[in-house]
Parts: sequence; structure tokens; C-alpha cells
Amino acid sequence: MTKHDAARRAFLVRAAVGAGAVAGAGLVPDAHSQLEQHMQGDAPAHPQQHPSGAEHGAFFNHDDAATIAAFTERLMPGAPDKPGASDAGVLNYIDLALSGAYTDLQDFYRRGLAQLDAHCRKAYSGPFQRLSAAQQDEVIAALEEGKATGFTWPTAQEFFNTVRTHTMEGMFADPLYGGNKDFSGWRLVGFPGAQAMFTPIDLQSKQAFTRAPMVGLQAVASSSMRKG
Amino acid sequence: MATEKTDVVIVGVGAAGGILAAELGKAGMKVIGLERGPRLKTADFSPHDELRYFQRQELRPNPKRMPVTWRPNTSVRANPLPILNYGNQAGGGTVHYGTLSWRFHEDDFRARSQTIQRYGASAIPADSSLADWPMTYADLEPFYDRAEYELGVSGKAGNLQGRKIDGGNVFEAPRSREYPLPALLADQSGVLFEAGARKLGYHPFSSPRAILSEPYKDRSGCTYCGFCQSFGCHVGAKSSILVTKLPEADATGNFKLVTGTMCYRVNTDNSGRATGVSYFGPDGSDNTIEAEIVILTPFIYDNTRLLLLSKTEKFPNGLANSSGQVGKHLMAHIGPRVFATFDDRFVNIYMGPSAQKHSLDDFNADNFDHGGLPFIRGGQVSVSPADLEAGPIGAAMSMNPPPGTPRWGAAYRDFLAKYFTRHAAIVAQTENLPYADQTIDLDPGVRDQWGLPAPRLTYDWRRPNELARVEFLLQKLEGVGHAMGAAHVWRAPLGPGIPGAHHEGGTRMGNDPKTSVVNRYGQSWDIPNLFVIGSSTFPSMSGFNPTLTIQAVTYMSADAIVNRYKKNPGPLV
Repeated sequence: MTKHDAARRAFLVRAAVGAGAVAGAGLVPDAHSQLEQHMQGDAPAHPQQHPSGAEHGAFFNHDDAATIAAFTERLMPGAPDKPGASDAGVLNYIDLALSGAYTDLQDFYRRGLAQLDAHCRKAYSGPFQRLSAAQQDEVIAALEEGKATGFTWPTAQEFFNTVRTHTMEGMFADPLYGGNKDFSGWRLVGFPGAQAMFTPIDLQSKQAFTRAPMVGLQAVASSSMRKG
Repeated sequence: MATEKTDVVIVGVGAAGGILAAELGKAGMKVIGLERGPRLKTADFSPHDELRYFQRQELRPNPKRMPVTWRPNTSVRANPLPILNYGNQAGGGTVHYGTLSWRFHEDDFRARSQTIQRYGASAIPADSSLADWPMTYADLEPFYDRAEYELGVSGKAGNLQGRKIDGGNVFEAPRSREYPLPALLADQSGVLFEAGARKLGYHPFSSPRAILSEPYKDRSGCTYCGFCQSFGCHVGAKSSILVTKLPEADATGNFKLVTGTMCYRVNTDNSGRATGVSYFGPDGSDNTIEAEIVILTPFIYDNTRLLLLSKTEKFPNGLANSSGQVGKHLMAHIGPRVFATFDDRFVNIYMGPSAQKHSLDDFNADNFDHGGLPFIRGGQVSVSPADLEAGPIGAAMSMNPPPGTPRWGAAYRDFLAKYFTRHAAIVAQTENLPYADQTIDLDPGVRDQWGLPAPRLTYDWRRPNELARVEFLLQKLEGVGHAMGAAHVWRAPLGPGIPGAHHEGGTRMGNDPKTSVVNRYGQSWDIPNLFVIGSSTFPSMSGFNPTLTIQAVTYMSADAIVNRYKKNPGPLV
């Protein structure tokens, strides 16, 4: 692992942990709970910020990352044997997309997150990632229905729809793009990935398709390179 | 600035332009094809990537750089459409399309007179501009046959020279011979649809598609991988123009394809002849091609846009527009659908060619009695995944969960987890009538990356005749879903009045120069060396996907240009 990779992983883990800390302890992987306690004892304003700045995401700062991690986990919550947004690395997907294919949505996210933060502080006296899971769901429902106050551009519904879309992309796009970690999204729904072919028996089967392996683009690429 | 001379310039090398390049090249004519997008190859489409091709629409025009605006009526401002549903590369839409390859019904070519004959003139909505075609099915049959055999279409005949054959589409118009390739295999959704439809007394069949069910003409057959609609084919089994006609055009030695170009004007002289075209090159250069024949074959928006942009003192309302009909009668398919989920089996609908897999034609065209119904014409019905594309992003984006299940949260997660592999959509594709006030023109406020005014659509399909047809079909779709044995059947919401897929109109063909833009060969009544070919010339649209009919009409035009116009340039009618 390169130094950059290590810093990036730390950023993502902390963002996710920061989000899960209040959103729902059951969603936080055990291995992360020590980090969480450590951070809660740290400086309160920007607990995840490293002086060197090395632990910044490709786009999100730590607060915004924690908000997106919490938000997307409520959209697709994880449970035992049911991978959710955090398991799939949805935050990582969105963070990379906003610094790449979706750079034109950076302001959309900045303003959407700022409006969300203002709404939560006004309605619940705290930032989104500090609310209880039930409160977070109330906020999200208010966004979806366009009832959340204080949104101009993006509108509450635009922001909800875009985050939902990007959550689904992060769940189900090929792992090449930084989400769907270890095919967790595909395993959730039973999609076998980039299969090159199906047989006539496969086509008419009434059973679940379970023939290994699940195929991703990098597996395809690396195996063809090995052959080459 | 460069100037080139050639016999023929073709603007837009897609479903129609690719055939013309091959046919005219073979006849010894020098052809230059201008194409806005790149020329891709089969190797570019491997491997499969739903995010890139379905969700991010890589094979479609970029709606920010090449905007098209829409408004439901003239009283509101038009806004750019978020997604553009057509191709943007050599091969055009045939690269990403679902490959449905229908012959229109006999009565699709005379929908107006058929309706009057059977139900009386009052059955046609007073504001509809429904018109007969200036050709019959019989005129076009040899060219349908040619398109099917040259491109490679898989299917089973349902009407062979008048003999009805169970298992094919018994409502199809008579064909002179079988399809060149056997029908594609049905998957589990097709098996269920087949059984359910038969239970209801309907006539289901494996949809005819331009996908090779077996090796054909040195191309390999379909692997049923499922990455089909929205994707380029990774084995070249999809009979796109890229793998069929462009290699043929190349082999003539008479064809040059210029990619990354934007044609912005058809040039004419004072005698009323077209002299060629002007275009921007990929480097921004301003170039001219002088040609004896100019043929426009881009997606329909750009036919109208180019004709309007090319106005001169002699043609102050745009080219080919003495009738005032350019830009009118815009049509598009609407896809009302229901979702069906199964508790007793997996469907695995992500397997196999994804779009409109298995069909029934009982409620299309005038195949059923509309007596007492508040609408005319119908729609094609088929089984598909949620959005004609079968990956989980498509399902998450396009399949609304059943009533009572939210679009997010644990309940939604559990819905997807259980039913992604157990769902099917049953979809209708409606024949919407033409209306003169559904138009394409130039947007006064929005420009594209070349500084040209964006095409502006004024269109709203939600008219009484169309709404009644949609409701009728939705009830049929629900019936099919239940007959298939689905545990749950529910409707997808109907969208706003926005046009759906497969646009038609804008440069209507006809028999009368006063009421049409081009004749049956796509030749301008006003400028005989200017042709416009494609679905923009269709006077009515049919409930069927347009591509094979575009291609048959193109073969007919190519035949007329090579065998008649070339020897004796002038009006063909």
C-alpha cells in the first residue's frame, strides 16, 4: 500500500466512523470503534483533520464526508448478510466521482451539503451526522418530499435524488469505480457481474444463478494481461 | 479552411447514412460522410460497464455540449433535456440500440384511410395531422427483405406470403421469405410471457432483432451476455452499421468518413441547387465540401435544424420548406409499463439481449377493433427488464418499488435484494399520432458547443387520444403480468409530456409538394439534389421501433439514386 492509499483509507474510515458514531452504533464495524473513541476525545471542531492535510478525500472534507457517509448509509443501510452503502464504499465512489467524471457537480454538493447542515442545525440543533438514525430518516424524507426548509439551489428534492442516484451507482457500478467493494452490491441483489456469456440452460433456469466467479472489469483486465 | 469536391456528401453516418455510403460507393460514386462523433470498433466495447454506457450514456450525445431543449407548449420557456436518447458516433443509434427490427404493418402505411374506412373520419382527432404514406407496404417489401438479409436479422415469420404461421407474429404483413436467421432463444422472462399471453388468447413470439442468433457473414453469434441496449456489442453480433455497412463502404474505395465534424449549413446557389455543405472540423476549422448530391441522415433534430439554419434570400424560411412543413408533426414513442415480481422462481432477466425480448402484437396498429374505444391506433407489447437494460443500476434507477415500499432505506434494500433477480417489466410502445403543433425549431436562447442554436422541441403527448390509449394498454399489461404468474404487479408512473424514444417527423414525406417536404425517396420537392432520409420523413410512426423501416426506406432511396437519378438527375417523382 502506498502512503497515499493509506492516507485515503484513513480518511474514508474516519469519515464513515464519524458518521456511524451517532447515526447507529450497530452499523459501525467493531474494528473501528477504538478509532471512534479516540476521535471523540479529540478536538471537537474538525476531529478528523490532520495538520498535514494528507487525510483529505479526493473531493470531500472530513465533515462533508461524514455527512455523506451517514446519509448514504441511511439510503442503503447495511445489516448482517445485507451489505449497505458503508460496506460497498459508496462514500469512496462519490468522492472519486466528484473529483473525476462529476466535477461539474462539485458546487451542487457543496451547496447541497451546506443547506442540509443549516436545515439540520435549525430543525434539530445539530449537524446531520450527529442526529439519531430516526431523525436522519426524518430529514431524508423531508428532502425527498421537498418539505425541508432553507433549500434554494439545489432544491431539497434535487439534492435527495442526486445523492440517491450516486448511492445506487456506488452500490452497483463495477468496483473499478471505487464502490461495490468486493462485489458487495452485486452480492446483495444476486447480479453476477460482467459475464461474457450465458448458456441456453442458464437462460431458462428458474433458479438463482450462482456459477462462480463473479466478474468485474479489473478481474477481466488483469486476467487478460496475465494471459498476454 | 479546406474545400473538397465529391459526388455525394452524407451528413450523419448512422442507420441510413451507413447504408447509403455502401450502396452509392458500390455504384462508383465518390462519397464523403460527415460524422459528429468518433468511429469506434468492436474492441472498444469490451468489457461490460453499466455505469459507463447505461448510466453515463457514453454512446449518446453530451446534453451539455450538444443541448436539445424541450417545452410542453409555446407558453413556457424550453429547458435543456437531461438525457438525449440517440447515437453520437459512426453507426449512430445502431451501435447502442436494442436492435428491434420490425416491418411496419400494411395499415401503418395508410393509418388515415384505414381509420376513416373502418371507423369514420370523426374517429381521427380533429387536431391530428395523421396522413397516409406515399408508398405501400408492398412497395417497400423488397427493401425490407434486403435490409434483413444484408444486415442480419433473427426472427420467425408469422406471415409467409399470406400463410399465417403460429410462433411468429401472425399480425405481420406478408413477407416473401423467412428471416435470414432463426429467432433468438427465449429466456425465463420470455417463457413466462409466452405462457401468460397464450393463456389470455394472445399471440406471443420471440421479437425480431438485428442480433445474430448464429454466425452469419463472417460474424459470430450472440453470447446472450445481456449487455445489449445502451452498449456496443463486445463480439460484434449486433448488426450495427459499424460491423455491417461501414466495412462494405470502406471496401468500395470510394468512401471517406470524416469524424468529429459538425455540419452547420447546406449551401445552395441562386438557381436553387444545393452546392454542398459547410462544416466545422475537430480542430474548429471551417470547411466546405462541394457535391453533386447532398444527403441529410442525422438524427431527426438535425434535419430540421440544418434546413432552417441554411436559409438564404431565395429560401427565406429555410431549405426545402416552400410547404412550411419543416419542423412539424414531431412524434415519439411513449413506454407505459408495469412491473411484475415472482415469489416462486428466479427470472434472471439480466441474461440475453435486453430490450423488448418477447412480444405480442394483438394491441398494435389496427390489429384489434377500436369500435367503442375513445382512441385509434395501438402499441406493441413486450417483456423487458426495468429500463430495456438489465443491470442493477438500471433497476435501481428505473423500477419504482411497489406501492407501500419506499425508494430508500432497509425496506427498499430488501426489495432490491429479493426481487432484482425475480422481476420483469411488461412494456407497451405506443403509436402516438402526429400533430402539426408538435414541432422542432431553433431555440432562441440556447446554443451548442459550436455556437449553433439548439434544436427546440415543443411537444406534449398527453392528449385525449394518447392518454386513453395508454390507459387501455396499461390494463392489458397488468393482465399479462397476472397471467404470467407474478405475485405482484404494479404500474410505473407516467412521465411528464416529454418525448420518449424513436423520434419521427419534421421533414414529412408525401405525394403533394404543398403539404410535404420530400417525396417518397426523401428527395426535396424544392431542391432535387437534396435528400433527407430517415424517420424524420415518416408521416406516421407505427407502434414498432423505426430502425428497420428507416433502413428499408434508405435502400429504396439508394436504389432510386443509383438506377435513376444518377443517369438522369432531376425530380424522381
